Amino acid sequence: MRRLLQGIATSASGWIELRYHARRSKRLVVRNGQVEESSSAEQVGVGVRAFVGGAFGFASTTDLTETGIRRAVGIAQETAKTAAGAKRNRIEGIAKVALASGEFPLRTDDPLDRHSLEEKLKLVTRIDALVRSSSPHIVSSEVSYGEMLDEKVIATSDGASAHVFDAKPAFRVLAIAGKNGDQTRALETVGVTGGWSDLFAPRSPEETAERAVRLAVDQLNARPPTGGTAQVVLDPELVGLLSHEAIGHTVEADFVLGGAITAGKIGKTVASELVTMCDSGASEHIPHAVGELPVDDEGVPTERTVIIENGTLKSYLHNRETAAHFGVAPAGNARAYTYANEPIIRMRNTYVEPGETPVEELIGGVKDGYYLRGLGQSGQADANAEFMFGVREAWVLRDGKRTDLVRGVTISGNAFEVLGSVDAVGDDFAWEQGSGFCGKGQPAKTDGGGPHVRCTLTIGGEQDG
Amino acid sequence: MGSEGLLERCREAVLLAQKLGASAAEAFGQTIESVNSTVQKNDLQISKSQLETAIGIRAFVGNRVGFASTNSLEQLRSACGDAVALAKMSPEDPHNVLTAPTDIAPIDGLYDPASSDFSAGDAVKRSAEILSLTEAIDSRVLVNDAWFDAAIHDTAIVNSNGLSASERGSLFTYGLVATAREGDRVSSFDFQFDATRSVAGIDVATPVRRACESALASLGAEKGESFKGSVLLSPSAVSQILVGLLLFQLSARNGLRGRSRWKDAVGEDVAAKEFSLVDDGRLPGGVATGAFDREGVPHEELTVIAEGKLRSLLHNMYTAHATGGANTAHATGGARSIPAIGPTNLSILPGAAPHEELIAEISQGLLVRRFSGNVDPISGDFSGAVKAAHLIKAGKRTRPVAGTMIAGNVFDALRSLSGISSERERVYNLTLPYVRLENVSVTAN
Repeated sequence: MRRLLQGIATSASGWIELRYHARRSKRLVVRNGQVEESSSAEQVGVGVRAFVGGAFGFASTTDLTETGIRRAVGIAQETAKTAAGAKRNRIEGIAKVALASGEFPLRTDDPLDRHSLEEKLKLVTRIDALVRSSSPHIVSSEVSYGEMLDEKVIATSDGASAHVFDAKPAFRVLAIAGKNGDQTRALETVGVTGGWSDLFAPRSPEETAERAVRLAVDQLNARPPTGGTAQVVLDPELVGLLSHEAIGHTVEADFVLGGAITAGKIGKTVASELVTMCDSGASEHIPHAVGELPVDDEGVPTERTVIIENGTLKSYLHNRETAAHFGVAPAGNARAYTYANEPIIRMRNTYVEPGETPVEELIGGVKDGYYLRGLGQSGQADANAEFMFGVREAWVLRDGKRTDLVRGVTISGNAFEVLGSVDAVGDDFAWEQGSGFCGKGQPAKTDGGGPHVRCTLTIGGEQDG
Repeated sequence: MGSEGLLERCREAVLLAQKLGASAAEAFGQTIESVNSTVQKNDLQISKSQLETAIGIRAFVGNRVGFASTNSLEQLRSACGDAVALAKMSPEDPHNVLTAPTDIAPIDGLYDPASSDFSAGDAVKRSAEILSLTEAIDSRVLVNDAWFDAAIHDTAIVNSNGLSASERGSLFTYGLVATAREGDRVSSFDFQFDATRSVAGIDVATPVRRACESALASLGAEKGESFKGSVLLSPSAVSQILVGLLLFQLSARNGLRGRSRWKDAVGEDVAAKEFSLVDDGRLPGGVATGAFDREGVPHEELTVIAEGKLRSLLHNMYTAHATGGANTAHATGGARSIPAIGPTNLSILPGAAPHEELIAEISQGLLVRRFSGNVDPISGDFSGAVKAAHLIKAGKRTRPVAGTMIAGNVFDALRSLSGISSERERVYNLTLPYVRLENVSVTAN
C-alpha cells in the first residue's frame, strides 16, 4: 500500500495527500453480570486531500485499487477547484517541513493481540461482579473494555511516505449506588497508547473498580456545596482538562483565526509565572499517554510545543496551512479520525509542567476551600476561555485538612483568570484523560494531565433563600 | 449500489453467518452518499464528498449474540465469522431475540429525487450563503464554524426469520456556530442548526437569524444577580437541561439496569399537568423519520407522557421481551453498532400562552438560551453556567448577564414547572417550546 500511494502521490498534478487508514476495533460491555455488547468493527479506506487554486477538496473511497484511488484523487481535485471559486481568502500555501518517511511501529512489550478476546471478556466479567459484591449499596454496575488498532500510510506529493501503527485500549468502570430512593454514580477509567499491561500500569483493574465503588457509595451521604468563589486544589485530571478544554482549544490556530480570545496575545502574560503549559506528541514525564503519535496525518513528525512559558503565551497549535499563514513550523497537530475525515488541528497530550511544591503542602495551605478530583459528567468551554466542568469528587478543605465529601459540584470561570490565580504548582505528575475522546466535528484521542495545582475559581452549588 | 443491491448484500451476510455456525442472524446495511462544505473563521474551509457502505451482522448461537461490522464488503465473510465467534464466547441471555417479519408501510416524502443532482458545488454555494446572510445581518457577528451537508441514505435489514426491508432517504443538514465581537468584548458562542428532507425545503436563513440574535444579545453581558426563583428556558436550553434526563429515564433498558426511577411508574404522575410528550417515527419531514427501526420493527406514533402522566417507556426487542411489554420500535443505531434505545422525532406539546406572556408573569427571573453544565440523569441534579442569558425584572426582559450559574433538580422541575409556551422550535429531531421552571438557584459569580 505504501508503494502504491507513493506512486500515485508523486505522479499527481499539483499537491495531494493520500492516507490509507485501516481501523480494527473491539468492544466488550458487561452490565450487571450480562454481556451487553461483544463486538468487532473494521473500517478501511483511503482519504484524499487535494490543493487547487488556494483551496482544499477532500474525497474518500473504500475502493482500494489503483483505479479507485485515482478516481478519488480526481474528485478531490474537482471539489477543490469548485471551492477555490467560492473562497474569499485563498490559502497562501502549505508549510514546507521535513516530512516523515519510513516505518513507525507501535512501542509496547505486550501487544493487545497477544491476549485473546476471551481473556479480555473474563476480566471485564470478573470486575463487573467485583463491583456489585463490594458494597450492599451498589445497585448497578457496568464495566467495559475497548481497543482501537490503527494502521496508516500517509503519502504526499511533497515527500511524506510514512507507515504508522497505533493501538489505544481503554477500560471503564461505572458503579451506581442507591439508598432510600437516592442514586449516585461514579465512573473511573484508564486509557493509554500501547499494549495490555501498559493499560493497567497506572492502576490495576481492581483499583479502578474500588475507586468507583467507594466514590458512588460515599456520595450517598454527601450534600451539595455552598456556591461561591473558593480556593481549590485541582488534581492532575482537572489540570489536564483545564489545559485541554479551556486553554488548548483557544490556541488551536484555526480557532485563533476564527476570533478566539488568544488572538494577538503571543508574548503577553496570560497566567501566573508558575504556569508552563505544553502540548506534545510524545508522552512526557510518564509513558503511554493516549495522545502519543510519532507522525501526524499530514506526515509531519510530532514535536513538543510550549503554549505558555512561565505565564507568557508562546505559541499556537498548527497544521501545515496555519503554520504557513503564521510563518512558523508545524509540530504535528493535524489529525483525522477515520479515512473519511480530513485532517484538522488537534491537541495530542496537553499538560502543565510540574512545579516544586509537595502535594501535601498544596492541600495544607488551604484554610477554607476544596480538593477537587476528576471530571464529572460533562465539561464545556467557549472560545473566550469561559469554562464549566462537573467535578467527580470534591472534598471540603478546612485548615488544610479534608473534611466533608460534597456532590453535584461544578466549577466555572475564565481559564486564563484561573491560571492567573495559581499560587502553587505540585511536584507530582499524571496523565488522566486517556479513556475519552475530544470532539471537534470529529472525535480524537487526546490526553491531558499535569501536577496538582492550587488556584481560585467559582463553585456552583445551592443558593439559600 | 442502491437499496436493492444493499438488501442483496444483507441477505448474503445472513446466509454466511448461518453457514459459519449461527442459528439465527440479522444484517443491517447502510450506504451513505454525501457532499459537504464547511466554513471556518468567516471563510469557506473545505468541500468533501463521501460514499461508503457498511454492514453490521448480529449472529445468534442459541440465545448468545455477537456483533461485527465492516465497510469492506470483500471482508463480509470474515466479519460474519467474527460475529459468530463473539456469540460463542458470550453467555446465554434468553432475551436476545430477533424480530418477526411484519408489514411495513413505506413513508412518502422521505426521498427527494432532486437530491441526486445536488453537487459538491451546490453545498459550497449554500455554505457561502450562510456567511453572506450573517454579514448582511450584522458585521459584528463572526461565523466560527458553519456547514452544509447533503446526504442520500440507503438502509436495509434482513434477518433469518424472513424479515426483509429497505428504504431510501435524503437529508440536508446545516448550521453555524457564531460569536459577536465588539472591541475587546467577545460574546458567548451560539450554535444553531436545521434540517430538511427536500431541496425545496432548505432554509439556511432561519438558523442564521437565530444565531445572530442570540450572539448579539449576549454582547456586553455583565455580572448577574443571585436569587432563587423563576427561570424561562428557551427550546435549546430545554434540550440541554430536560431532554437528556427524560430520555435516560424513559429507556426501558435503563429500567432493566436498575437505573431508571420511572421503570415501574407507567400510569403515575411524573410531571405537571401542562406537560405532554410524544414520539413519532413517521412524522412528515422529520429528521429521524423512517418506516422501521434498527431491528426492522415498523415505527408508530407513541404518547409517552400525557398531561403529566407517564404512559409508556421506550422499548426495543430486548426490553420488550425481558419486561413482557409492547415493543414501541425504538431500537436505534446504525450498521456499526448494536441496537440501542432512543427517540425518533420527539416533541413536547405546546402550551397556551406565547413565551412573552410567560415572561410578563415573572417578577424576578432569568431567561436562559443555552446551558453549559451537568445534568445527572439518575439523581436529576443539574448545575452549570448559563449562556446568552437575560435578567427578567417585573415582567420585562432586561440586561444580559455573564458568569451566572443555575442549579436545581430536573425531577422537581418537571413537577413544579409553571408554564409551556405556545410557540415551538425544532432542535434537530426535537420539537420544543419554552418552559418556565420555578425555585431554581441562580448564583452570580
